[in-house]
Amino acid sequence: MHQQDSSTLVLFSERPEWADVTPLEQYEGVNPLAPIYYSEEYKDATSYFRGIVKAGEMSPRVLELTEAIIRMNPAHYSAWQYRYKTLLELNNPLDDELALMDEIAVKHLKTYQVWHHRRLLVARTREPARELAFLSRSLRADTKNYHTWSYRQWLLAYFNEDTLWERELDFVGDLLEEDLRNNSAWHHRFFVVFQSGVRKGDEDRGAVAQREISFAKQYIAKAPNNASVWNYLRGVLEHSKIPFSELQIFVTPYTLPQRSEDDAPAEVIDLENPLPSKLAQLPCVAAIEFLADVHEAAGGDSIMKATELWKLLADEHDTIRKKYWEYRIREALRTV
Amino acid sequence: MSPPPGDLPPFTRFGHGTHCKRCLVGLPGSQVDIDPSKLALAFYCIGSLDLLNQLLDKTKQDDRESWREWIWEQQVCGPYGAGFKPGPYMSSIKEDSTEGNVPQLIVTYTALLTLAILRDDFTRLDRTGIAQLLGVCQREDGSFSTEPYGGDTDLRTVYCAFAIANMLDNWSTINIDQSVEFMRSCRTYEGGYGQFPFCEAQGGTTYCALSALHLSGRGDRISPTERKQTIRWLVQKQDISGGFVGRTNKAADACYCFWCGASLNILGVGTLVDEDALRSFIGSCQHKFGGIAKAPKEHPDPYHTYLSLAALSTQATAARAGPDGNIGHSAANAHVDPSRSTSWELPPLDPLLNATVDTAAWAREHIPKSTNA
Repeated sequence: MHQQDSSTLVLFSERPEWADVTPLEQYEGVNPLAPIYYSEEYKDATSYFRGIVKAGEMSPRVLELTEAIIRMNPAHYSAWQYRYKTLLELNNPLDDELALMDEIAVKHLKTYQVWHHRRLLVARTREPARELAFLSRSLRADTKNYHTWSYRQWLLAYFNEDTLWERELDFVGDLLEEDLRNNSAWHHRFFVVFQSGVRKGDEDRGAVAQREISFAKQYIAKAPNNASVWNYLRGVLEHSKIPFSELQIFVTPYTLPQRSEDDAPAEVIDLENPLPSKLAQLPCVAAIEFLADVHEAAGGDSIMKATELWKLLADEHDTIRKKYWEYRIREALRTV
Repeated sequence: MSPPPGDLPPFTRFGHGTHCKRCLVGLPGSQVDIDPSKLALAFYCIGSLDLLNQLLDKTKQDDRESWREWIWEQQVCGPYGAGFKPGPYMSSIKEDSTEGNVPQLIVTYTALLTLAILRDDFTRLDRTGIAQLLGVCQREDGSFSTEPYGGDTDLRTVYCAFAIANMLDNWSTINIDQSVEFMRSCRTYEGGYGQFPFCEAQGGTTYCALSALHLSGRGDRISPTERKQTIRWLVQKQDISGGFVGRTNKAADACYCFWCGASLNILGVGTLVDEDALRSFIGSCQHKFGGIAKAPKEHPDPYHTYLSLAALSTQATAARAGPDGNIGHSAANAHVDPSRSTSWELPPLDPLLNATVDTAAWAREHIPKSTNA
């Protein structure tokens, strides 16, 4: 692989080793629409690229040329595609290519092509373990990057090797320890626990569900106003077909205002139902919503209890969703 | 921080139109990454002018003609059928090679809509070829690849393929049920849809799934329980800034005002959005020299400008829709002042195709017609 840093300064048109290629200038149309005022270097490299593609050349220097273009424009779809074909044609070691990609990907984490190219490479090298290590590093740099996460999910599901799954829960745990509002990490946890088959030790699904409910409760106790953990808890309950009412005792203290020091009764520590911390902002919108759902599911007279809670959300605690909570009231009363 | 509702900043519609026209004239070299999606950029710019009702008054007939010609130049055909390529970035003055000059689904969708905005008669459209392209791009799992010879497959391309089939009124080359299965596999425990199976729920791809299901008449494949869960997730995405976030616990971004707002509209509950707060957020994303940015104090671009306008239009649609969510054909364009007005009023939008009701009607009327019919 050629080093780019020193060589990009010299235009391809000025390099004797490229003299045999006829560069093809871009055709813009008679009245170009949104033309881009390209830099000299970009115009030069892409003209040679069009020339190479026209001639159908697949040689080591094509890799140098496409790398130069990709570094200037990582979204250049055709350069990626032609590069991939050339790599296969030359039978180049794809590990080298992945090493180069490690560096390029970190600079352009939000470019689709960077990740698509990686998928194609790894589907051939079939060495997912090295990828997981790379992904853990790049997720540290950008903990919510959608491309990085979806690549990780694809990798795990595609290869589905026991050893790959082993450390996933610890990995998610570490990320949540750092930022308990990282929804990507919560989502990944759900994927690992519930959507990707049953791993050794997790055969008792009822126990797994209870373990995850306890996990969510601990995080709610730490910081109740966190939509990610409530969505996770709801997801676990719905997936495991556990009625919300089983959590009524746990949820209720979170629906009430913070108690002052004086009227707080001596606390009985209930490990199953951790209480909100003294610093928590209460009442918690998500807890009131949860309790209202419990009442709605109970039906009958309980519907009125639900509508009272929704009214509280509409008028006081979650006014931006006033129309939604009023809609919930209408919907619930319609079915009575 | 956005101003409180009721205290809206002026809506600088003239400046937003100018921003888009400026981009159509030319882009700086730093935006070279636009090249492989040039036609999509054209859609955002010309679509913004359509929503602002400035196309006829603020652009020249000659310009509109040359834009249409430029778009038609991107129509290509081959063994895969026919479609539009993103732009001329792989074309040379001499003969073209096939490589890099293949059609792409996402820009084919935007090309058809842009031509409809420009009221093209579509006599040059290779209808059979485009239907064939849809079939060639569909994968076994029901998803579609961006290009006939590869590329990403995800919910975005399913949406674009379905929107094209809807405009063509030709579903004969597509296995709809297979795609419905693919979309269902992208649904998450939160109630939204991720870009690929197993991925986190996201506003843009949730719109793609909901819209594609309704475009193909499969809206009933969402169960009442699922619908309830999805509505909950969508309204939860509006945060205290008034804007929408794309994923739980992220920061608000103007584009999700459309993706989430239109999704609610498609589900028949568009009026659940806090419209004052939404306007106030979009108002705060306006740039002083025109254009709308993803968030306050960021740089504007045609993508966020278009989607913010579309979000406001969606609200206009929601307000006019009947209780069943049906949108009638509207002549609302007639009384929107296209001049320097600072009115927040915009024409109603067809939330499924993402174009004004009038443009969508034009597309559905002229795209399926064969020249020989």
